[in-house]
Amino acid sequence: MAVAGRSVGGALAAILGREGLREDDAARAAAAVDGVVPRWVARPATLEQASGVVALAHDAGLGVVPRGSGSALELGRPPARADVVLDLGGLDQVLEWSPDDLTVSVQAGVTAGALAARLAAHRQLLPVDPPGAATRTLGGLAATAASGPLRARYGTLRDLLLGVRFVQADGVITWGGSKVVKSVSGYDVPKLMVGALGTLGVLGELTLRLHPMPESERTWLVRAHDAAAAQAFVDGLLDSAIQPSRVELLNAAALEACALPGGAVAVAVSIGTVAAAVQAQGEALVALARRTAAEAAAAPPDVWAGYARACAAPGGALLRVATLVSEVGAALRAAEAAAADLAPGIGARVTGCAAVGTLRVALPGIAPGAAATLVERLRGLVAPAGGSVVVEAGPRALREAVDPWGPVPPGPLALMQALKDTFDPARVLNPGRFVGGL
Amino acid sequence: MALSSSVLATLAEIVGPDGVVSSPEGRLVYECDMHTFYKGAPDVVALPRSAAEVEAIVRLCRRARLPIVPRGSGTGLIGGAMAPSGGVMVGMNRMDRILEVDLPNRCATVEPGLINLWLTRAVQDRGYFFAPDPSSQMVSSIGGNVSTNAGGPHCLKYGITVNHVLGLEVVTGAGDRVQLGGRVVDRPGYDLTGIAVGAEGTFGLVTAITVRLLHAAEAVKTVLASFSSIEHASEAVSGIIAAGIIPAALEMLDALMIRAIEEGIGAGYPKGAAAVLLIELDGPAAEVEAQAERAAAICRERGALDVRVARDDAERALLWKGRKEAAGAVGRLAPTYLLQDAVVPRSKLPAIMREVLAIGERHGVQIANVFHAGDGNLHPLILYDDRRPGELERAKAANEELLHACIAMGGTVTGEHGVGLDKAKNLPLQYADADLNFMYRLRGVFDPDRLMNPGKLLPAHPACGEGFRPARPRLPAGAWI
Repeated sequence: MAVAGRSVGGALAAILGREGLREDDAARAAAAVDGVVPRWVARPATLEQASGVVALAHDAGLGVVPRGSGSALELGRPPARADVVLDLGGLDQVLEWSPDDLTVSVQAGVTAGALAARLAAHRQLLPVDPPGAATRTLGGLAATAASGPLRARYGTLRDLLLGVRFVQADGVITWGGSKVVKSVSGYDVPKLMVGALGTLGVLGELTLRLHPMPESERTWLVRAHDAAAAQAFVDGLLDSAIQPSRVELLNAAALEACALPGGAVAVAVSIGTVAAAVQAQGEALVALARRTAAEAAAAPPDVWAGYARACAAPGGALLRVATLVSEVGAALRAAEAAAADLAPGIGARVTGCAAVGTLRVALPGIAPGAAATLVERLRGLVAPAGGSVVVEAGPRALREAVDPWGPVPPGPLALMQALKDTFDPARVLNPGRFVGGL
Repeated sequence: MALSSSVLATLAEIVGPDGVVSSPEGRLVYECDMHTFYKGAPDVVALPRSAAEVEAIVRLCRRARLPIVPRGSGTGLIGGAMAPSGGVMVGMNRMDRILEVDLPNRCATVEPGLINLWLTRAVQDRGYFFAPDPSSQMVSSIGGNVSTNAGGPHCLKYGITVNHVLGLEVVTGAGDRVQLGGRVVDRPGYDLTGIAVGAEGTFGLVTAITVRLLHAAEAVKTVLASFSSIEHASEAVSGIIAAGIIPAALEMLDALMIRAIEEGIGAGYPKGAAAVLLIELDGPAAEVEAQAERAAAICRERGALDVRVARDDAERALLWKGRKEAAGAVGRLAPTYLLQDAVVPRSKLPAIMREVLAIGERHGVQIANVFHAGDGNLHPLILYDDRRPGELERAKAANEELLHACIAMGGTVTGEHGVGLDKAKNLPLQYADADLNFMYRLRGVFDPDRLMNPGKLLPAHPACGEGFRPARPRLPAGAWI
């Protein structure tokens, strides 16, 4: 149904109130996604308002781009449409926190930093720590399946999201999952929402599993003379009884970016548990490093404070690489080599969770064409074993030169298309941005 | 419904004559799972040996419009692996190979009929194990574990089955064989693997599974604490979690259960206690040592009558033996029972246990309790003797009331057994029409013709019999026309 702009604006204002709707040029320009300027910027104060906005957009044939802190708007393809930017930052309430249950329910606009500050009172944490997490919203972290070093021990939001309230593409508010730590009643709908970029529903409320903060934690920096030696150390570590909370690879440029002592490559291993076990596990770790021709030393206490700098790619591109755990050293080496070949001198920063086989490749100042070639080259390396290379951030030109998600095999892609056709046939939610142009 | 001879002949061509069970007495074996209330024999059972055979079976059933019911070892507790509307049951027992063990990448790929414990046995000498450990793990299949998203005592620390599944090969209800996920994490796109785990066969038939393997912990300790009341034991559970300790397992047994186990196998549980906590800690030796001491101290602070630490593996095994065989031991108390699987937030344990007692008294039934206290997952066994008139009805009424009480406290109707035929009717307690409607449509993506395990997991709408229809939000009237 075609609707005149003015009347849609009037309806939006009626749903959101004067303070919740911006239509002025400045606000619209500031909310542009990949250069696509929305006609309205909606900032609901309640989930019901968000539902009303989506329902209206659905009936009026508009595209809605949900947004949290706005830190991940370069993830994915440029939007096919972005009539309404739905800013969820106003949904910022912690709804229910029950420390004895190790669960918390929050609105999607709560930032990870704000939640962490609350949880610290009972020494609990939500172990999701991608670079810049503190200012990112939990809804955004879930929608983008963001992860950081702590996934080595705690998994990702896939493992932590117990329940989710979301707005379907026609505006219907829907709940999936449960509020308890263990439930198999019905399909595990939260799994479907993690990493879906809001394309099956706009995330409104999340119920999350928490963990106790370890009593004591220390990090060791294990330096190796090359990636193969680092891999040998990681293999030995994972095949031991040591239980690390982080197993983070950092190449020379990444070490330099976060002001850590130099070397070709290092593995930062954190151990968090009771003090006596930190001590004992640390000793085992140092001995293991020695056996695998690496050298371990205690890292400074603020070692993770500068971590975000190791993943920063000003004026360039940031890639997520997933590969086999046993190939993670080779992938690091390949990323460095490709960058040296295609963009000499930029100093590619490679970091990543060696325990699960994921890397971040930050390419500061790289030209879009060179970055696109590099993406294809890395895909060629990791794809045969089922690996992937995703452009996490970078200019629109890069994401037009190369599919930012990479190819998805035909079988799964057909199911993904069927999911989108079922739940958002009118292509209201984040149209065009997701895999396969969904 | 009687199958046409051409369907039977084609099935025999697909799986071989020894892979077809069509005699009435043969089919009778398959008429129920461990929830023996629900009976429905399939018209035929097919026992494939490969994914290609599974694919051919699904295509045949699609052509003939026959329901398909997957079955592993038949140890489910929810009326999932039985055929209420007949059709073809596909027994996965002959697909039981370990296809690959990849220790450098800490994973293995197996066929669905593989017995859970066999995987751990295949890798334990190299220091690894498969974490999901339902009490049936000696006989239940990994395919069945995946379908029900099974838990087990140790999922408190290690998570349930879905947390350990990296990839699946599935023949969907549409007849397509697709590979979802795999050894490498973070596939771009929707998490199809995650949503397919726990689908109870309503999406399709799982033909291969890639699972994580974990490295065995350096040390393990089991602590047994007995209490004079369930309340004190529940408070100890909260105290342990509040102290930042996540035990590998944290199990509770009540007086009736303790009596049954002691009279049965004699696990060495203190007979006079009103509640026993079984606390297992694993991890680095120094951590286990410190946390076991702390957990024991917390139990004493909460008034434990007795706190014991298993001295060796033999004693540890014995303490666990009692827990693992609890359901069987109940046979000493009553000929049969209803087993509930609801969950409450663990902080509500004292309240729900008071409620369990009250419900038992109100309905005049005995309720024995053995459960995963650490994650609030109750397993009340509501005892009855079906030879005595009215007992079953009272047990059922108590069961329903208990479910309502758990939901009222913010819980869920099933923590680890699944929905199946048994609890489909209960889902509306927990989900609104919009939520159920979403699930109906989700199922249709994988199984457009609804041939897969019909009648399971989702309730039929009382009025229209099919999908629930949600109300859409009201838009401002007259604002835009």
